Amino acid sequence: MKGNEFREIGKRVPIRDAASKVTGRKIYVGDMKLPGMLYAKVLFSPKAHARIKSIDTSRAESLPGVRAVATYKNTPQTRFNSALRFIEHKIPNTERIFDDTVRFVGDRVAAVAADTMEIAKEAVKLIQVEYEDLPAMMTVEEAIKEDAYPIHEGGNIVGQAHVEAGDVDKALAECDYVFEDRFTTQPIHHAAVEPHVAIADWSYDDKLTIYSPSQNTFGFRVILSQIFGLPYNRIRLSAPAVGGAFGGKLEMTVEPVAAVLSKMTRRPVKLEYTRRECIFGTRVRHGSIAFIKTGFMKDGRIHAVDMKFYNDTGAYATSALNVSGAMSHKVFKAYKIENMRFHVNPVYTNTIIAGAMRGYGSPQAYFGLERQINKIANFLHMDPAWLQEINMVDPDSLDPCFHKPHGNPRPKDCLRRAKDLIHYEDICKEQEESKDGRYRIGVGVALGVHGNNCFGAHRDVTTLMLKMNEDGTCILYSGSHDMGNDNVGMQKQVVSEVLGIPLDKIDTVEADTDACLWHLGDYASRGTYVVGMAAKKAAESMKKELQKEASDLLEIDPEQVELYDDRAWDSTQEGRSVSIAEVMLHCQRDSMRELCCSETHPAPRGPSSYGVHIAKVRVDTETGKTKVLEYSAVQDVGRVINPLALEGQLAGAIHMGLGYGLLENITYDAEGNPQETCFKQYQLLSASDMPKLYMDFVAEGEGEPGGPYGAKSLGECPVVPCAPAVVNAICNAIGAEIDSLPANPEAVLHALGRTTD
Amino acid sequence: MKNIKFEINGEWKQLEIQESWSLLYIIREVLGLTGTKCGCQDSCLDGGCGACVVIVDGEAKRSCRIKGCTLEGARVLTIEGVADGERLHPIQQAFIDAGAVQCGFCTPGMVMRAKALLDKNLSPTEEEVRQALSGHICRCGGFQKIVEAIILAAERMRGESDER
Repeated sequence: MKGNEFREIGKRVPIRDAASKVTGRKIYVGDMKLPGMLYAKVLFSPKAHARIKSIDTSRAESLPGVRAVATYKNTPQTRFNSALRFIEHKIPNTERIFDDTVRFVGDRVAAVAADTMEIAKEAVKLIQVEYEDLPAMMTVEEAIKEDAYPIHEGGNIVGQAHVEAGDVDKALAECDYVFEDRFTTQPIHHAAVEPHVAIADWSYDDKLTIYSPSQNTFGFRVILSQIFGLPYNRIRLSAPAVGGAFGGKLEMTVEPVAAVLSKMTRRPVKLEYTRRECIFGTRVRHGSIAFIKTGFMKDGRIHAVDMKFYNDTGAYATSALNVSGAMSHKVFKAYKIENMRFHVNPVYTNTIIAGAMRGYGSPQAYFGLERQINKIANFLHMDPAWLQEINMVDPDSLDPCFHKPHGNPRPKDCLRRAKDLIHYEDICKEQEESKDGRYRIGVGVALGVHGNNCFGAHRDVTTLMLKMNEDGTCILYSGSHDMGNDNVGMQKQVVSEVLGIPLDKIDTVEADTDACLWHLGDYASRGTYVVGMAAKKAAESMKKELQKEASDLLEIDPEQVELYDDRAWDSTQEGRSVSIAEVMLHCQRDSMRELCCSETHPAPRGPSSYGVHIAKVRVDTETGKTKVLEYSAVQDVGRVINPLALEGQLAGAIHMGLGYGLLENITYDAEGNPQETCFKQYQLLSASDMPKLYMDFVAEGEGEPGGPYGAKSLGECPVVPCAPAVVNAICNAIGAEIDSLPANPEAVLHALGRTTD
Repeated sequence: MKNIKFEINGEWKQLEIQESWSLLYIIREVLGLTGTKCGCQDSCLDGGCGACVVIVDGEAKRSCRIKGCTLEGARVLTIEGVADGERLHPIQQAFIDAGAVQCGFCTPGMVMRAKALLDKNLSPTEEEVRQALSGHICRCGGFQKIVEAIILAAERMRGESDER
């Protein structure tokens, strides 16, 4: 009865806590109240760049119900980096909990803990601060000037990343044509619906416990230890639930503030940001300026690319170097281009801190690259999809930097499927037929690429633990933080596949530094390829133990035991089996053993995931408004473990990516005040704005080598092609170029040579 | 302080409230019903995320925008009052089955919006469903599966589809 087909892999499984979520019974950190808990409020800087001349907290302190007021004067002045990942990680330490200098509107100045939220709010207003203005640099161009005032010692250029393959200058000289363009992308807000929140509880036993919706509990433990000098056994971080993150909860924000207030009061302290505070007080995606030079031949083959980027990292270093480093490798994975150079400098400005956001440098890099490929196709009177296809990597292509195989990249399969789904030839005809009207149809194609882990950048390791109960059920201990993508459910499916134990008999303990084994964190789209494989290894280790125990009962060799349908089967004799529950009872009662297995899985290599998206838009040339009518998105994921989860995640990525392309933006006034600080101002695409979606996945052959059952990430990749696909569509509709995001109605009218009144 | 009497999830409550308290504050902080979420707090007076939507006298409303003192005699339904004991409401089951639940933070508001819609119109078009969601944010799933779930729920409630 055992076949070779999968039993669990490929099943449409709703997220494991769906019933709790649809009934409102899932407890998020914002829902938690601990006995004696205080409420915190932060005072944020109204200045873009200033030194604090004086700060008087006496009136706030004397307000009844106020339990602590924290400023730079009474808190640790240790400098840290909120994006630190692991103990030996070295990145610039530029942040403090509170500093005597504020570097952007929204920087932390002070915080209050009080008996009620009302009192905390009132107290913050009573803190009197005198500032001495410093020169503020709101743009990269200002900040990189020779004589620019340094936001941090060492100047405003944080560092660089540089990667080169082939001989770019020689190759450019050989090309029939070279295009050179400047592209810019804007900072955007993650907009996870759950705000940033933490409850810190510093006990008199000197144990600091923090509950927060984090993507990296183990990383936060390292940073909190640096700040407060506590050993790791005295710091516990737990992420009981995460109400969306998208990279915005990967870097530490509210946690040290709640912690220091709890230390001062020895009471639990909750700090929850408002939406406004989340927008300016957490992280944004790096804005960027790119200079891209692409050399190509008359036949459409791209021969050389030279990319130079400036990333706006905002007021503190955080992920500046990580994002730049990641960016510098991702562009080499897409096309068969032998000669390629990528250079990036992250730059400090007096703006909101930029940090990790879904895509991690790829959306910026691929916007310019994909826009330029569209221009080249139009210049050569070639179909952009065809030009893409002749340049895309093949499954056997080699990485131009390392001359090693990419793995099993399938962008061409994605392209072909995406074209079929949206009836590409037909919509191209519609574009042609509408080119003289007020309402123009446009079609845009773009490729996006993203990685699967941190291989090559730094260590990338996950350890999972699996424990059997005596009734044959099991508990998976996973350091993963499930952000709603059901990465933990995916791990359960893998365990179920290996052990034959049904999903409802596998439960999980998650994202808790005291209960789980060390985990790098949930970022870099590493969940499937690395953590999924760790789950497979841990389950295989447990399988050996179960086979051994079952072999006693079945009186056969352990290797002759097969596990499926919640039973251990004698593979030598049809129909002979014992239940896993019987095996575990035997194990505990007779063998007197407990079964608990852990396995560590280091990422063996760093493959890429691919996505090709095609947008069909209608542009009103009078108003500049764009309506995305249809959208086709096909992703190369190696193997589909849970189609239901992947479809939801892909649709969400399209929403986020189109928002980036069309409207999301954070701008500043002359004083450095961010202008879009609530959902009224910071607009997202609505349900009615979303196009008809055609989605599919390419999972060819054995999938990606090294992934669980050949699976690799979806995660970040699908936000990458959206903006270039939709902007290419707009540009193809109107016959004009838009090289700056977002392509909002003003940008469309500007491209058409019309000004807005 | 003001004394008000209103119905919440089928039960009449008499409460002493401050004039400034919103319905959301009363639900979450006074009554401890934390199923109703808040994604913007005090900063989004006109925009909003929709996570706090509840049903007041049959209409889906953002509870953060309703003053508690206007509630006298009102009938309020929150996410906690949607399931019938152990039995999930068909909308809740459809959200699970259609894969409409991801991080789950927007989900209670979405379910309440869907219920208010389907209580009045059991055969909404897809565009009507999308319009109904205009005041909501779903950042994980871009609304797609939620729209599918509401249409599935409507089919099941009309008896056209197998109810699980």
